[in-house]
Amino acid sequence: MTNAVVAQNLAKDFDGITAVKNISFEIKPGECFGILGPNGAGKSTTMKMIYGHVVPTKGDLFVLGLNARTDIKRIKSKIGVVPQEDGLDVDFNSLENLQIFASYYGVPRDIAKARAEHLLSEMKLSEQKFRHVEALSGGMKRRLAIARGMIHQPELLVLDEPTTGLDPQARLWIWNYFENLKAQKKTMILTTHYMEEAERLCDRVAMIDQGVMLDCASPAELVKKHIGAEVVEISSGSETSYWKSKLSTLKIDFQDHENKLFAFFPNVQARQSFIMQLQNIHYVTRLANLNDVFLKLAGYSMRGDA
Amino acid sequence: MIQVWLRNFLFFRKTFLVTLFWTTLEPLMYLAAIGFGLGRFVEQIEGLSFIEFYYPGLLASTAMMVSYFESTYPSYTKLTYQKTYLTMLLTPLNPNQILFGEILWAATKGFIGICGVILISLFFGLFKVQVYLVLPILFLLCLVFAAFGMIVTSLAKNYDSFIFSTSGLIIPMSLIGGTYFSINDMPLFMRSLAQIFPLTHAVSLTRTILYRQLSMSSLIDLGVLIIYLAVFVLIAQKLFSKKLIK
Repeated sequence: MTNAVVAQNLAKDFDGITAVKNISFEIKPGECFGILGPNGAGKSTTMKMIYGHVVPTKGDLFVLGLNARTDIKRIKSKIGVVPQEDGLDVDFNSLENLQIFASYYGVPRDIAKARAEHLLSEMKLSEQKFRHVEALSGGMKRRLAIARGMIHQPELLVLDEPTTGLDPQARLWIWNYFENLKAQKKTMILTTHYMEEAERLCDRVAMIDQGVMLDCASPAELVKKHIGAEVVEISSGSETSYWKSKLSTLKIDFQDHENKLFAFFPNVQARQSFIMQLQNIHYVTRLANLNDVFLKLAGYSMRGDA
Repeated sequence: MIQVWLRNFLFFRKTFLVTLFWTTLEPLMYLAAIGFGLGRFVEQIEGLSFIEFYYPGLLASTAMMVSYFESTYPSYTKLTYQKTYLTMLLTPLNPNQILFGEILWAATKGFIGICGVILISLFFGLFKVQVYLVLPILFLLCLVFAAFGMIVTSLAKNYDSFIFSTSGLIIPMSLIGGTYFSINDMPLFMRSLAQIFPLTHAVSLTRTILYRQLSMSSLIDLGVLIIYLAVFVLIAQKLFSKKLIK
């Protein structure tokens, strides 16, 4: 079986400004692949290359075995996209939005109607079907945009920040929905800056920052490789330099950020033996997560447009 | 392309009362005020009564105005705030199909406007069988200005940008394109300027079909309109797709 997406040394410049630099990755059929990064990392540009809103400057991109440079029309007929801005047609109601969108794919009207009704009920939007999209809540709009992305029964779902800006309940509902799709072996590619989302949904994640791929593996592998298993957060305050040299002598991996030290341990025993030495200092212990990996790889500083 | 047209038609269906209102009320007011009211002070113009002379001008300028306005403000909203075109582009539709759908729709709207003018003209005793021959010419004119509107839409920075093309081109054209007075009465400079405008040729062709014998110059008029359409469409294609695909 061919890979769902293959990117080889993919790059994009916008008027001399590099958004994506030589990114390579492969997405297998049935996989949920995440692209993680801060704002402006190049996530959306990478996604837009997949669905044809952006043409790559360099490199090769194959989607469902088709070349994105030459066969974008066929690619677009096989993929379902949920863009960051829902882009719902505000001149119409929910049902009409789905029906009109289906017409762009050439789905016959009777089939489109049946599918639209089915998707609306699946998305818990049946009661909203005659409501204007302007009158829908943020969560409803996003669900409608997801339904719209599936109206032509795509082979691959492309989700650009599918839960950004939603409240926790709406986010949880969407996560559950995606987990169902995963169980049905639907191939998905999603961008997010919520590490929790990536940990929960993605089989593998690519971490990118400033257009460069930092690493790509399963969330568990990334945590194990870069962090270990346990983290101790030490509020070192004015004694930061003392603790930094101490951690260095003990050969403990750590990161520092604004008078706080994050020490990483491969297992509980190592963590415990270290904690024994901590006195008169505030600290917190917890499990390592993808957030630690991300901050370690991409750095802690705020981004220009964050 | 047809899907894009259909989307606009579906929206139009929801608001057609508004359209019905302006398509009939506006020509009624213009024909009454300018044709009838003002025209009483004009004895004859190019051998026609003023209202007869003005009627082809009203047909052509309505075609121009309605198509132009349909392909500017609403299209710009779809291009920017509503992101309608970008969403369409997620589907197998390409920028050209979207562009052609929009041009065809804006021209259709212009055509509806023309039908309103013709309907109202019946009350002024202006009906002539030849009007059926005029319809394809006016539709061609609608296409020209729909394509022009899409060029302006692709270039616009904000809604104010349209003031340049509206006040700088559309309004002057509607005034000196042979609509209200004969271009033969204008100084040479103005006359040459008027000859550049597509509207002038559409008005002259419409007037000829309605009241006169077709001649070589009718063919030139038609040729000019076709060339304008071809050039505008080519430019619009370039600018519009640049706006959508980076």
